[in-house]
Formats: sequence, C-alpha cells, structure tokens
Amino acid sequence: MAAVASCGSASTGSAVATASKSNVTSFQRRGPRASGTNDSGPRLVSIAGTRPSVRNGQLLVSTGLPALDQLLGGGLAIGTVLLIEEDKYNIYSPLLFKCFLAEGIVNGHTLLVASAKEDPANILQELPAPLLDDNSKKEFDEDVYNHKTPESNIKMKIAWRYQLLPKMEQIGPVSSRFGHYYDASKRIPQELIEASNWHGFFLPEKVSSTLKVEPCSLTPGYIKLLQFIQNIISEEGFDGSNPQKKQRNVLRIGIQNLGSPLWGDDICCAENVSNSHSLTKFLYVLRGLLRTSLSACIITMPTHLIQNKAIIARVTNLSDIVIGLESFIGSERETNTLYKDYHGLIHIRQIPRLNNLICDESDVKDLAFKLKRKLFTIEWVQDNYLRQERNIYPPGFSYLLKQKDSAWGEGSLQHSTFLMSFLAKATAFASRLVRHSEPLKQTGSGRIHQAAGPRLWHDGRRQEAPGLLGIPL
Amino acid sequence: VTLSEGARAGTGRELGMLDSLLSLGGLVLLRDSVEWEGRSLLKALIKKSALCGEQVHILGCEVSEEEFREGFDSDINNRLVYHDFFRDPLNWSKTEEALPGGPLGALRAICKRTDPGPVTIALDSLSWLLLHLPCTTLCQALHAVSHQDSCPGDSSPVGKVSVLGLLHEELHGPGPVGALSSLAQTEVTLGGTKGQASAHILCRRPRQRPTDQTQWFSILPDFSLDLQEGPSVESQPCSDPHIPPVDPTTHLTFNLHLSKKEREARDSLILPFQFSSEKQQALLRPRPGQATSHIFYEPDAYDDLDQEDPDDDLDI
Repeated sequence: MAAVASCGSASTGSAVATASKSNVTSFQRRGPRASGTNDSGPRLVSIAGTRPSVRNGQLLVSTGLPALDQLLGGGLAIGTVLLIEEDKYNIYSPLLFKCFLAEGIVNGHTLLVASAKEDPANILQELPAPLLDDNSKKEFDEDVYNHKTPESNIKMKIAWRYQLLPKMEQIGPVSSRFGHYYDASKRIPQELIEASNWHGFFLPEKVSSTLKVEPCSLTPGYIKLLQFIQNIISEEGFDGSNPQKKQRNVLRIGIQNLGSPLWGDDICCAENVSNSHSLTKFLYVLRGLLRTSLSACIITMPTHLIQNKAIIARVTNLSDIVIGLESFIGSERETNTLYKDYHGLIHIRQIPRLNNLICDESDVKDLAFKLKRKLFTIEWVQDNYLRQERNIYPPGFSYLLKQKDSAWGEGSLQHSTFLMSFLAKATAFASRLVRHSEPLKQTGSGRIHQAAGPRLWHDGRRQEAPGLLGIPL
Repeated sequence: VTLSEGARAGTGRELGMLDSLLSLGGLVLLRDSVEWEGRSLLKALIKKSALCGEQVHILGCEVSEEEFREGFDSDINNRLVYHDFFRDPLNWSKTEEALPGGPLGALRAICKRTDPGPVTIALDSLSWLLLHLPCTTLCQALHAVSHQDSCPGDSSPVGKVSVLGLLHEELHGPGPVGALSSLAQTEVTLGGTKGQASAHILCRRPRQRPTDQTQWFSILPDFSLDLQEGPSVESQPCSDPHIPPVDPTTHLTFNLHLSKKEREARDSLILPFQFSSEKQQALLRPRPGQATSHIFYEPDAYDDLDQEDPDDDLDI
C-alpha cells in the first residue's frame, strides 16, 4: 500500500513483513534483510491499535465498533476516508464519530478533531467510556439478555439449526489491542483525555471574516482546514518526514458535519450551487494528504440536506468507505413490526478496492442498528426475524400459524414439510444452511422463464441473493 | 408521520410545551404559510417573554415598526428594543442610529452585550434575511448567536439566548428550509383545520430523540396565548365500520383446528431431529424385530462373492 511504503524506508521492513504474514507458508526469513535499513529495532514494527488485514495486507485501524469492523473487512485501512451519511436528526452518527475518536484515545493515537458546530474540546469531553475489564463485559451481557423478547427464550423445535448460528456480534474474546467496546452512557475518564495528544479545529475561531470566494475554488473554511491538517501531518511526522526520531503513530482525523452551511458551503442550501466543486475538491486534496501519511479519517456529512444528487454521487466516489445511517424516527417504518427492536438501518454503500480488483462486498444487505442503553449494536434484520420462529414464513402462512389450535403449528407434518420447502427456496441467509445438491438449470430462453423465487443457483454459485427486504421502496 | 401525537391537550404536562418553547433556548423556527400566519404567534411569544422580564430585541425587516407594535400594551412596548430595518434597509439615509453591518451586525452587537440575563431575539422575518443574505452566512450567524451560552468557563456569564425566527415556508425551496431546521432546537409548524390553528412542535434536544406534539391554540386580541383542546375530532376507526371484519377461517377446505387429544398427541411427538434419551436407548437396545427379518439370498453363478477382487471369476 502506497501509504505504508512511502513512509520512509524504515517501513519497508514492516510492509514486507505484513505481506509475508498473509502468505500460506510458515517459512520465516532468518537474518537481516538485504534491502533493510540499519534500523536496529524489531523488524515487525507494529503500531499500537493497528493490525494488518488478512485479505490484502493493508494496515487496519479499528473504527471503534467491532461489529462495524467485521462488516468492513477487518477495519478501516490507514490512508482511507470513512464517510458517514448522517441520519435525519443527527442522533446516531455523532456516536459513531465519538467511538472512532475514543478508540484513538484508548490506543494512544493522535487525534485531530475538526468541527464547525461544537468546540472540539467539548466533543472530547463527551466521548464514551471504554469497557476494558471483564466485569463490565458481564454487565452489558446482562443488558443484552434482559432486552430479549420472551418468545426468543423458547427453544426452537423445528428450525433448531438457527440456534446454532453465530450471532452477528461476537461478544467474546476481543483482542485488547484492536477494537474495544464502548459504553454510551458513561463519559471517558478525564485522565485519558489529558494523557492523549489531540489537536482541535473549530471553524468560527479560525475564520473570522467572510472572504470573497472565487468560483471553482475551495471555501475559506476548507482551505484553512486543509492547511491545518497538512501542518499537523508534517510537524508531527506522520508522513515519514522524521523517520528515526520517535515511535510511529497513527493520526486519526475526525471532521464533523462536513458540507453543512456552518462550514460556509452552500450545497445544502440550494440546488444550483454556484460553487459546487468546493466539497469535492476538498475531499480530493484530503485523500491525497491521507494517502501519503499514516492517518485515517472519519467524516460525517448531512447528505439528506444536499439538494443536488450529483454531488452526493461525486462525494461517494471520492470517499473510500461510505456508510449511511437511516433512523426510523419520524418515518413510517417505526411502526413496522419487522423493525420494532431496532432504531434504524445501516447501509454500507461502498467498500474500497485497495490493491485489489474486487472488493469485499458483504452479501447481506439488511443491517440494522439499535442503541441500547449502553451499547450500539449492529445486527442483521433476519436475526430478529429468525428469533421469532413464526416470522420466517410469508404473511399468509404466519396467519395460519397464529390460530390457537392450528393444525399447522409446530410439530405437525404440514408445518415441517412446508418449512423444508420454503426454506429451500428462501433468501441468501437461509440458503446457506439448507444446501441443495442439484443446481437449477434453466433451459430455453433465459430470464423470462425463470421461476418466481430468487435466482439462487447458477453454475453452482449464487448469483443474486436479495435480502428479505429486497422490495423496492 | 407517526411520532407520538399528543393531539388531545388533556393533561397539564402536555399543555406546557408551547409555553416552554422559550425556556429551551436556541433557535426556535416558526414556520408559517399563507393560510396560517405566524406573526401573531410570534408577537404572543414576545409578549410572554417580555412579561417574564427578559430582554427582548426585535429585528423588524418585513413590516413597519408601528404595525408591529400595535396591539401591545405600553409597558410591553417600552420593554421591546426594536431594530428597524424596514424603513431603510440599505441605509441610504446614513443617520447615526443606523446600525452598521445590517441585520447581522445588529445580531452580533446584541450578542456582545455584557449584562447577564436571558435574552430573546425575534427575527421578523428569517425569510427576508434569507432573500437578502447568503444562506451560509445567515446559518453561521444564527449558530454563533444561539450557541453562545454553551461555551463554559472563561467568557462572562451571559444568559440564555433564544432566537425566534419567523420563516415563510412557501417562499423557499427545501434547501434553505432544511438547513435552518437542522440548526433549530425547536420547530413550530403552523397549521390547522376549520378555523382552529394548531402548532406542530418538534423539539430536538441535543442527544436525544426528537419529541413532537400538536397543540391547538388561538391568539387573543391582546396577544396572549390561549391553549385549547382540539376541535371535536371523531376518532376514525381503523377499518371501515360498514364492513365487518372477516374471519378467513370459516370457509376453508382443510381443518385448522385441533381437538384436545390431537394437540396432546402433537406435543408429545418427538421430531426426527430431536435426540432424546429415549431415542438413544431405543437405538442402543437390540432391536426386537431383528430376529424376524432375514434376507435370503442365493448367489447366481455369475455373482461376485468377493466384492474387492474383480478378477475372482477369472479362470486362469
């Protein structure tokens, strides 16, 4: 990865070492490398809180939510931008933002917080506290189980295999060096903040007057922010400019509410914007800065306010990972029984292809999140469906099941045979378990004659696997 | 919109929401339209905050000062500090009392005041300001004004600042309205039916879910606020009352009901994939039926007795 390789020659050793970690062989090189430097330190220099990706050898940092790390293929690669499209009332995206920063503090990374709305010092005061020891883990395990519906405690008799499914979130041994859980109801201890190294950028303090903006150039706020980031990167040596001096560290940049009118950018205010390229230029320059330094950036953007959809598309292309949050507040989905345990949906709109030809796109489309009292969890919506056994059936059938003395209830022959045939045709999630041995070969003219039901098998591999919610809305 | 609708103003707790609009501070956006005008509600809120002893500053841009002040008592009129931008918006007459910097300069000057105490600033109207100023500048100025009291510590303790802004929804596209409502702490949308005005109040507290409420009200001639219950609304039944609910189980060709005995039998059935101890014992016990079934097989001449050696029948 260019970012790691260009960080001075001292890092070539670690770059190759990380690449060799992903090799299949167990052969280890012995002795110093011929192209290595005179660095007498350990060859595999690992920065706290990072780990190499097993897929493409990139150096990853955790986003602060282990479930999100899992969905993104291990974490956020250094040198990339994570863009979060804010939910409508901006309740949940600040939590993701703060978890990212809190993860930086816990790992000892340097932080750079930029905001036009809140003073960065206030943002840091409100970071969630990490759950570091086992006692607190037990605490929030109980929290999890208390909220389960009573129906889910019934052992499943027919669909018993679903009980063996791994849950989305492995609340298990999380390596203490990568990925921590955070308690949203508690604040981070003050001494952790004071021990950390952070830089803040609060726009109203930096840009006091309204300058005349030439067309096709960056707004003054963006220019100042880019200069600030560049100064920090070069002063503190994140781009390898002081290779031998001190222990290498990662810079975590967090920019809040980018593109809102408070940054001086009017893409949220009008459809035909006079200076529509300001934000895209900013992202372009920012990505250039990130790629040449050991830093990772999180940006939250109120895309629901952006009037011109072309700008959203450009912004998505210019970012590496794009996650959209859609909360159910105020929408008609709030009363939908499918979503009754959740607070919103997470859409993973883009995952980057870093030194790859394909990206690690997850095939599960229906992810939902909920903010419990302490914890922010991400789950597949099907998990909720399947926890209530009755709800895996189509609506008409579940009506029959709901009858009190129904002959179609659990344990009956009709139930079992229907279940087997339904599950066999069901969507991606269920079909992973119920395997067919014969692929559906279509003869004759192709798509028109394909049977109703998802196209699951073609040449033995799944071609399309829509989620349960593949209904156009 | 399916937020919890408190359309019935029954309890006193719910009545308080319109009253407590100003106590939350920040930007309060009054969105009105041609059918339901908001200036009278704005004046009612101004009167209420003046009676509470707060300082009230008014930036009048849309109507003249005389028209704005009419209807107020003299003591309230004496408390109002009126900044007039209607008569001479571009400051052509260059008199001394004209404030430099236009409306935004006046806003900043109000913020720089040194005396503590809560302040209410009424902007009449935000639509006028949006049409004359760039939206981003206005948003930044409003944010600076309304969040002044949130900075802790070193600055002099200034009181809470509430900014009441009147916005005519129909004059603007979704962009500016969306930008301003994302800045606002409280949004009051005026509507109503059949001569009765209602205010849909959406309250966004910083890190909590927004709450909303619909409050029916009317403004008395002296601009005091009269909270009312809604018009007598017959609660619409979910289904059409003429069509009785249909029971779909009546004309089925198969039986949906289980008798008690059938249900017991069903519950005691062991499913094929359930491995219980009885099943384990049944498998481990020598089966009693084994002695009764035998397979009699007479091999042909051509049959391979030894399955493994295919050349067994070769005669070499």
